[in-house]
Amino acid sequence: MSGFEIRFSGAGGQGLQLCAKLLSAALAREGKTVAISQGYEPTSRGGLSRADMVVSDEGAAEYPLVTALDYLVVLDRAAVGVSEGLVREGGLILIDARRVDKMPRGKYEIRQMPFSETAMRLGNERVANVIALSALVGIGNICARETLEQTIRTGTPPKFLDLNIEAMQQGYALADEQVAAA
Amino acid sequence: MSNRTLPVNIQGNHACALGAVAAGCRFYAGYPITPSSEVAERMSAELPKVGGIFIQMEDEIGSMGAIIGASMGGSKVMTATSGPGFSLKQENIGYAAMTETPCVVVNVMRGGPSTGMPTRPAQGDVMQARWGTHGDHPAIVLVPSSVKEVFDETVRAFNLAETLRTPVILLIDEVVGHLVETIALPKASELDLVDRKWADGPKKGFQPFAVTDDMVPPMPRPGDGYRAHFTGLTHDESGFPTQKPEKVAQAVGRILDKLERHRDLIESYEALQTDDAELLVVAYGITGRSARKAVAMARDKGLKAGLLRPITLWPFPEAALKEATKNARHVLVPEMNAGQLCYEVERICGTERIARLNRFDGEAISPAHILEKIEELA
Amino acid sequence: MAVAESVDNFEINDYLRLEMMPHFLCPGCGHGIAMRALLWAVHELGIDKNKLAIVSGIGCSGRMGAYVDANTFHVTHGRPLAFATGLALARPDLEVVVITGDGDALAIGGNHLIHACRRNLRMTCLLLNNEVYGMTGGQVSPTTSENRLTTTTPAGNLEPVFDACKLAEAAGAGLVGREVTLQTPTLKDLIKEGLAYPGFAFIEVISDCTEIFGRKNDLGNSPEMILSQKKSMRPDSYGTVVDEPFRPNSLPTGVLARNDRPEYGETYRNFAKSKQGRAK
Repeated sequence: MSGFEIRFSGAGGQGLQLCAKLLSAALAREGKTVAISQGYEPTSRGGLSRADMVVSDEGAAEYPLVTALDYLVVLDRAAVGVSEGLVREGGLILIDARRVDKMPRGKYEIRQMPFSETAMRLGNERVANVIALSALVGIGNICARETLEQTIRTGTPPKFLDLNIEAMQQGYALADEQVAAA
Repeated sequence: MSNRTLPVNIQGNHACALGAVAAGCRFYAGYPITPSSEVAERMSAELPKVGGIFIQMEDEIGSMGAIIGASMGGSKVMTATSGPGFSLKQENIGYAAMTETPCVVVNVMRGGPSTGMPTRPAQGDVMQARWGTHGDHPAIVLVPSSVKEVFDETVRAFNLAETLRTPVILLIDEVVGHLVETIALPKASELDLVDRKWADGPKKGFQPFAVTDDMVPPMPRPGDGYRAHFTGLTHDESGFPTQKPEKVAQAVGRILDKLERHRDLIESYEALQTDDAELLVVAYGITGRSARKAVAMARDKGLKAGLLRPITLWPFPEAALKEATKNARHVLVPEMNAGQLCYEVERICGTERIARLNRFDGEAISPAHILEKIEELA
Repeated sequence: MAVAESVDNFEINDYLRLEMMPHFLCPGCGHGIAMRALLWAVHELGIDKNKLAIVSGIGCSGRMGAYVDANTFHVTHGRPLAFATGLALARPDLEVVVITGDGDALAIGGNHLIHACRRNLRMTCLLLNNEVYGMTGGQVSPTTSENRLTTTTPAGNLEPVFDACKLAEAAGAGLVGREVTLQTPTLKDLIKEGLAYPGFAFIEVISDCTEIFGRKNDLGNSPEMILSQKKSMRPDSYGTVVDEPFRPNSLPTGVLARNDRPEYGETYRNFAKSKQGRAK
């Protein structure tokens, strides 16, 4: 069965579960099957948090927990250590340039990107998650950009819609920069 | 439910709630506890929409009592809990077994003993689910391993509870309870639902606990004129207490026999590549899925591995295990506990062939870990 | 509520499972009088036996249900209010009566009692208070008077007692009342009031355990015990005795509290109806 594994990780409250929720809804629109599991800690805010996805083209994943990540997003330094050794050789790691100063070691494709910085420029650091998610979709071609946009439009409360769409566009722009540079 | 046919991403605990409502559950009583609370939360939203009742009781014991009371009143009922709460429910689970009152009890397993690890997975309640309440009693225990199976087994739990007039326990591990998967929920019309057999014959001389052919006497509904008596005391066919040895033996014997008689209905399992298996893995819940992948990996390496994944944990699918281990030199039982189901497997297969793989540190057992053990044994 | 053709000529046998006689209560036990009062009230209100559901717990009080010709549920120790909560919510057409005791309701089942009072779901709870665990041989209970001898207080009870009615009132029970068994017609009227009350009605019946508790404490035979209970009650003095210990000092009787809080079952059904409208 062909498929891939993704982890969004960072600190609690950074909206990592929302990343997985939006992306899985987008993938479901494209006929994919997903399994999401989460690092589930007693505290809702702060501390380590992660949302894992196992995506398969058809049918339920044989084993729904991640074992070899194809994609890893790290939005906070608290989350660097836990995923080391879990990323597949050659896997893509997107790292927040401002909040993470320690790089994972290994044969990975690591990209430091200004997720939280861009979010602050938009006036709300909390949209770093949507920026990172969109950048991941843009670089990894995980789903069509339009599908993610549709999902964000249906899944966002009206009050945050404009902000989230702008965050998404910034994420795609960051992705294009990376792809052009490569 | 009829419009929910497109695949949706849904959490295991929510699938349990939706399965219950689809199965006809119209009364839920519960008490908040991690990691099962999402079942209660979803029920509190779904039940009023279909004319059902949700109540958050003052404690776990009270919620178990309330669902039995509602079931005696005629509703299909459910409660959900986890570890410590499951311990508290045991007395009234015994009462439901003794009075033959249908109910579904969900236990989303977390690390134990005691308060343990509320947010971490475990499979440490396997023996408690079978033997948790005191005395000789029947126990039906189902253990799903995917979100889709949670939905299906919840529906089946209701059907079994209603058919056999007995409590049914759904053991879900924390991984599956909190797992979100893409599933297509069946249409309401696709589900085969069972309602319990209600008494409708003559009122005079009615025996609420009569020995019937199928060992499941029809249940008298309050208000229908039978004016029956229910008690947790050992009772004869009339429902009133007795201590006559032959009546006691008959009464307790019947509630045990009725499960034996209906094993075909109750037993469910997945057997994968067992025909030529020289090494059989017996695993359930999330560990069952891990084992499925490990077996596929082992086959890729040319090892003759197979899987028996019990979906019904109790009564254990004994004949299926015997069949699956015909050619097996090794039987590997990976479990997220210090070794529980392996005792039942040993009872059936003998101790010589058994190998254990146990983990009780709050982490799931990975396919690689099981494969390593398979290779070690091969 | 179905109304019978006539409320005259109360014949208790019409409401009993005669095949269950002789009953197992000791001679002189006050519980039988309480049961008579309950059935008399049921008769006068014309409640259909087919719609009468009696839920009882464990102990001497718990066994009462088995003798009543109705839908009877003898459940686990301390839990009858929890079972009755499920039954009454699922079946608002039934007349749900809980029979419990001082140990059942105030010790092991105390949590269910206070929350049943708070919730105010329609049912009537009769607490038969005989100051002792009779069924298990006479151990101290939460209402055993101070200094009384029991099999677990060989030097006399050292613990203070609960006032069940004050507890129920403070927890919000819609109707709270107390009566002694000597005043059977008054007790019957109080139970009638409880049955007719559209919420949670809590009634404490001061009963007597002559055979075990009375004998151990040299309280005389049944008539003497019942008369002394009557003497210790002051029906008109509620409110003036709040700081006094429970017994042997005075206790008020009659309806002690009443409020008009919404009945929970109806509140929930209205909420559910509003959701059903929207779901379609």
